[in-house]
Amino acid sequence: MVIDLSPFYGATTPIDRLFESLWPSMAISQRSVAYPPINIGEDDENLYVRCEIPGMDIADLDLTLTDSSLVIKGERKPVQGKYYRQERPTGVFQRIINIQAAIDRDAVGATMRDGLLEVVLPKSDESKPKKISIEAV
Amino acid sequence: MTENELKTEERRLPRVKPATDIIEKEDGFYIFVDMPGVSKESLIIDLNEDELKVSGKAEYSLPEGQKLGHVEFGGGEYFRSFTVSHIVDKDRIKATLKDGVLELHLPRLEKVQPRKIEIQAG
Repeated sequence: MVIDLSPFYGATTPIDRLFESLWPSMAISQRSVAYPPINIGEDDENLYVRCEIPGMDIADLDLTLTDSSLVIKGERKPVQGKYYRQERPTGVFQRIINIQAAIDRDAVGATMRDGLLEVVLPKSDESKPKKISIEAV
Repeated sequence: MTENELKTEERRLPRVKPATDIIEKEDGFYIFVDMPGVSKESLIIDLNEDELKVSGKAEYSLPEGQKLGHVEFGGGEYFRSFTVSHIVDKDRIKATLKDGVLELHLPRLEKVQPRKIEIQAG
C-alpha cells in the first residue's frame, strides 16, 4: 500500500507548487497534491473525516478500515466526448488517513451529500475522555 | 466600520472559480462544473441573452463542540460565467445537480444541425 502521510507527495518546494498551480495535470496520479482534500474533525464522541469528491457515487467509492488507518479509494472517470476545456481531474485516487485513537469499528458510518463524503468514526469507550472525581479525605 | 459590519466581513467566503469541463457530443454541448457542498437550493443559474452565469455557495458549519484537527478545504462561493454560442437552443438548456456536480446540457438549434453537402458532378 502506498504510504500517504501528508497532503503533498515527496519533496515539494514553493516553486514546484507554483508550477503545479499554473499548469495542473488533469491526471490525479500526476499531481503532487493528494486527492481528495480531507478535513478531520473531532468531538468527545466521534472522529469525523470529510472530503470533497464531487461526481462520485458512494457505490463507486471504496472505503476500507484497517487497524490503524482509513483508506479512501476510487476513480473519477472522464466523460466521453470532444473536450473543449478540461479542468476537472480524472483518474484513480487513494488516500490513507492514519487513526491513532481506538475506534468502535462496527459503528463506523459514511454518508455522501452534494459531493461531500463524511465518515463518522465513533471512539471506543476506552479512548473517550473521562472525568476523574477527586474525593476529599 | 461598526462591529456588526466587521463580523459579516469575516464570514465572507472566498470566491472560487470551479473546475469546469466543456464537452461536445452528438446531441449538443455539455458543461460539467464541480461544485462540492452546494445544495440545489443555493445554486443560481442565470441566463441573460448570451451570458450564462452559475453561482453557488458551499458553507460548512461546524457542529457545536467539534474541533477541526486537519484542514485541506473550506467552503467557498463558486462563480463562473460562460458565453453561449448562437447555435445553442437557449430554450432547451437543461441543468442537473448531482453529487456536487452541475451538468448543463446545451442542445444545438435544430436548423444548425450539421448537414452533409452532396457534391454533384457537373
